[in-house]
Amino acid sequence: MTPVGSIGGAIEFIFQPQPSNVTGGKLVGGFSQTVELALTQLEVTLLALALALVLAMPLGLWLGHRGTGGFFAVAIGNAGRGIPELALIALMAAVIGVGILNVTIALSILGIPPILTNAFTGIRQADRASVDAARGIGMTELEILTRVEMPLAIPTLMAGVRGATIAIVATATIAPLAGVVTLGDYIINENVYGENGVVAGAICVALMAVVLEFGLAGLQRLLTSRGLKLST
Amino acid sequence: MSGSALLATIEFRERGGACEENPKALFCFDWARHNLDRYETPTIQHLQLVLAAVAIGFAIAFTLALLAHRRHWLQPPLLAATGVLYTIPSVAFFFLLLPLTGRGVDTAVIALTAFNLQIIYRNTLIGLANVPASVRDAARGMGLTDRQLLWRVEVPLATPEIIAGLRIATVSTIAIATLAVFVSGWGLGEEIYKSLNFPTGIIIGGGIAILMAMFFDACLYLIQRAATPWTRKASG
Amino acid sequence: MRYENASKRYPGSDTLAVDDLSLTVPAGEICVLVGPSGCGKTTAMRLVNRTVELTSGDVLVGERSVRDIEPAHLRREIGYVIQEVGLFPHRTNAQNIGTVPQLLGWDRRRVAARTAELLELIGLDPGLGDRYPGQLSGGQQQRVGVARALAADPKVMLMDEPFGAIDPISRERLQNEFLRLQAEVKKTVLFVTHDIDEAIKMGDRIAIMRVGGRVAQFATPAELLMSPADEFVEDFVGADRALKRLALLRVSDIDLWEAPLAHVGQSSAEVRAKLAGAEVPYPLLVDDDRRPVGWLSQRDLDSEYVPSRPDSPLGPVLEGDDIMRDALADLLQGQSQYAAVIDSRGRIAGVLSIEIISDFLGSPAAEQDRQSATERPTGAERASEISGDGERE
Repeated sequence: MTPVGSIGGAIEFIFQPQPSNVTGGKLVGGFSQTVELALTQLEVTLLALALALVLAMPLGLWLGHRGTGGFFAVAIGNAGRGIPELALIALMAAVIGVGILNVTIALSILGIPPILTNAFTGIRQADRASVDAARGIGMTELEILTRVEMPLAIPTLMAGVRGATIAIVATATIAPLAGVVTLGDYIINENVYGENGVVAGAICVALMAVVLEFGLAGLQRLLTSRGLKLST
Repeated sequence: MSGSALLATIEFRERGGACEENPKALFCFDWARHNLDRYETPTIQHLQLVLAAVAIGFAIAFTLALLAHRRHWLQPPLLAATGVLYTIPSVAFFFLLLPLTGRGVDTAVIALTAFNLQIIYRNTLIGLANVPASVRDAARGMGLTDRQLLWRVEVPLATPEIIAGLRIATVSTIAIATLAVFVSGWGLGEEIYKSLNFPTGIIIGGGIAILMAMFFDACLYLIQRAATPWTRKASG
Repeated sequence: MRYENASKRYPGSDTLAVDDLSLTVPAGEICVLVGPSGCGKTTAMRLVNRTVELTSGDVLVGERSVRDIEPAHLRREIGYVIQEVGLFPHRTNAQNIGTVPQLLGWDRRRVAARTAELLELIGLDPGLGDRYPGQLSGGQQQRVGVARALAADPKVMLMDEPFGAIDPISRERLQNEFLRLQAEVKKTVLFVTHDIDEAIKMGDRIAIMRVGGRVAQFATPAELLMSPADEFVEDFVGADRALKRLALLRVSDIDLWEAPLAHVGQSSAEVRAKLAGAEVPYPLLVDDDRRPVGWLSQRDLDSEYVPSRPDSPLGPVLEGDDIMRDALADLLQGQSQYAAVIDSRGRIAGVLSIEIISDFLGSPAAEQDRQSATERPTGAERASEISGDGERE
């Protein structure tokens, strides 16, 4: 359990290019490289999230509204949790190939289960009385879904999106294995970036994840109607 | 391709078998048959990592939930704290700990434990909170002390939620533990990482992890059913 | 059990939930706390087992102040029944019943014996003891709740709207059963309800509370109905309190009229002679055993001898034990002014008429008191009366 590297060194690494052992003294790290890697990670995360949303959210909402496919929706959620992230990325890279498109697809596979399951359960748990009333008033099925069920389900829906984001950004960290160079590069290739680089990568990834989470939490608060906030 | 991946490819070419001609084939049964034993140790390691992390995580999170159950002022800070630990990707967490605990299995276990705290904490808290108020009222009114109320009524009734949390935590941890290779060289992740260009190896490694997850999920589910006979029998 | 100037103020509130309550509940009686929502009746009840703590004043149970006993121990000596029942879903019904005895450290055999005894007492199939509360109906659950409260044989029972969540038919049955039970076990019961009819039915003594936690009147049901203390009580009891009073009387409590009796084959002239000056203007045909057969009309008396088949059917027949309110209902439903009253052997004892009833209601209270004092049907007798007589249901 001997400590490796130091926080101070890591902070330095983020901002100042450091000489590297492998590349014969060439400078690595530093602010611009860090930002570039971070942006790549952000880019692939958001792409994968968007893809997962497009694929999973409408399906989950519709299944939830109709009340069918519950077993399927929940099972997908359970199964999705068990996907070994490393195996997924590695398999994608080995079988389909490297590149941002393939990584995006792989990551979205991780994001689909939480979004799908939460969309389903969120809609199912919407207050039945409100839904009945809405139907009685004469709302169309689509109106009921968008004006009654979804607003009521926002907390659960957003929880699913947040879960998906966490899973995606975490796995995006090891995307360098598949050719997409994200902040994880600092972490995986220690021989290039050194001990400080590794810790620096860890700090940056952690920060990014936390900031994204905060952002989504804020978005959730924005989207949650006041009445719902009062009752929870 | 990074250096270690290159080395891995070479290693597998050497291993051979029917996959010599086409190491990139999706799955070589021959190779699988001959080399299954190499997965034994990693699997056991993987198990150890997961069991340690879930056991410790449960011990901590359950205790925290019990504390926060009565003292409501604890709930927001604890939720936030466990939430942050959950949000930080485990891969990053492993290496955040480097300056503190260095490389090794300990670091992996600590990070994995931190990861599953929130799941178990939240589920336990929700389970306890969902005990009907009338049952609590009756229990207190009949003369149960606070401690008796907690252990004889609230915790048993919260069992389904608690075990559900355990299931989620276990399955998730098994999946995430594949990444422990980066900081400790332990677990199935090690085999997967060595098989970076060798689909058969990846599939076996990942497949074992998935099977492990399914197994534990099923076991915990059965335990839950056995421990809560009253949920099965309730009539309309 | 006794309240002495008991008061409760919730923190952050200006008003008192219970305001200087002083009340004595005699042992072995059911005292009902009744009043509108927010009057503090539930709070007052909870002061007894300290699920709500006193702000000032005292509550004594068996001459011991509740403040002197540790809450958990106090509660184990007091039976507690609430509206939602609150049975433990994860324990069998038998285990639920045995909760307090187990807490008190009874050995397993004693607990099992007591549980079996109670299951029989509440009228539940002993096999249901091994099932779970989730498998019972609402009425059955509440019965188990009552059994659970009785398990350790407490002297005092607290019941907070115990039958409120149950459908009216089952509720009546449960009320009757509880009254029957109470006749056997004679607990000191504090019973909270918002339903004045339930209060009158169940209570030996009733405390009507008004919002703000004060007692408007504390009296027996009869007193409450006959002499309400003020307008609030009058309103709460209801405009139909005269009818409610009838629920407390029996047919035998008042003086009945005599009908002129006629036998088959008797000379009509004789019967007509009896008619003059009689209280009841119709002769009653009776058989040799003085059992009523039917009412004779003018046409019947036109013939020389009393016919064997009277013109008018017998109509409603009452017994001395019948509750007056039910008797009035029978009269009205039978569309007759008069009803024959028979004794335990079926022989004519007198005639009840609607006029008698209204006269009685109109007479001064003292007179009624005297007449009804010894015969006032207790809750238990009322219950067995109501359920025992198939006609009435």
